[in-house]
Amino acid sequence: MTQIFDIAKQWLISDGKEAPLVSFYFQNSADFRVGLDRFTKTLTGLINSENSQAIIAAVVGEIGNNSFDHNLGNWPDQPGVFFAFDEKERLVVLADRGQGVLTTLKTVRPELDSDEKALKVAFSEVVTSRAPEPRGNGLKFVRQVVANHDFVLDFYSGRAVIHLNDGLEPVIEATDILYNGCLAVFRF
Amino acid sequence: MKQRIFYITAVWPYSVFNFFMIIELKKFGEILVSRQDGREAFAAFRPTLTQVQDNEDIEIDFTGVRVFSPSWGDEFFRPLFEMFNQERVTFKNTKNSSVEETLSFLEQLKGVKFKII
Repeated sequence: MTQIFDIAKQWLISDGKEAPLVSFYFQNSADFRVGLDRFTKTLTGLINSENSQAIIAAVVGEIGNNSFDHNLGNWPDQPGVFFAFDEKERLVVLADRGQGVLTTLKTVRPELDSDEKALKVAFSEVVTSRAPEPRGNGLKFVRQVVANHDFVLDFYSGRAVIHLNDGLEPVIEATDILYNGCLAVFRF
Repeated sequence: MKQRIFYITAVWPYSVFNFFMIIELKKFGEILVSRQDGREAFAAFRPTLTQVQDNEDIEIDFTGVRVFSPSWGDEFFRPLFEMFNQERVTFKNTKNSSVEETLSFLEQLKGVKFKII
């Protein structure tokens, strides 16, 4: 895995007292919008197809904004997202030290008792984790796009990870390490 | 932000004048992905929508939108469809892949079929 993954991973498994490097750290959604705009400009020099550029940016935007939407006012320690990309590897890493998928979904699915089950629900069932507001389905959109295009996504939260690979059935596994929040590795 | 035009949708003797309000989404930005931005866009545009007459329909034009995602779309279209019957709203110039994927996803999520030309 690349260096940016290692940096993001270290941030999530740390005690959360230190923020990531300024160049990778976007403390609020307005900052993230600037980073996403910069990323889309980089994509134009990397990928010829405007349609591919658009759908890649949509996935990155959806995952990044998800962090802010589901943690506003509830960040356990450091707010904001880690966002970095490796042009050579065609890989994007996004991470946040938010509540994580299980804690977020438990508000509407109190019966959930593991990170693995929470990831399954987040990527496959229509729910809203901000009831009564009808929202919380961005990750299902991400799954649809990964399935319809030649993309790969690994999404870590808590002690679990879900692997999405093209149109294959998702694979969910337990992890040895506790990921405080969410970490997404998106390959395009 | 808007323009009013009318089309003749049938020829004499059955001429009917239909008026459309065209909403050019690019006026809200080229990258439309966050819920917060979608919510603010609708709040800003709502006063204009209150001027739509009963004999007017609405066209949503995606020309110039580079990146579109369900979060922005949901925050803008959900209240729009609460104000207007979905039959009165048409989407056009949707060939951008992020627009196509988003509209397809929202259709599945809500169990509806959008009017796309």
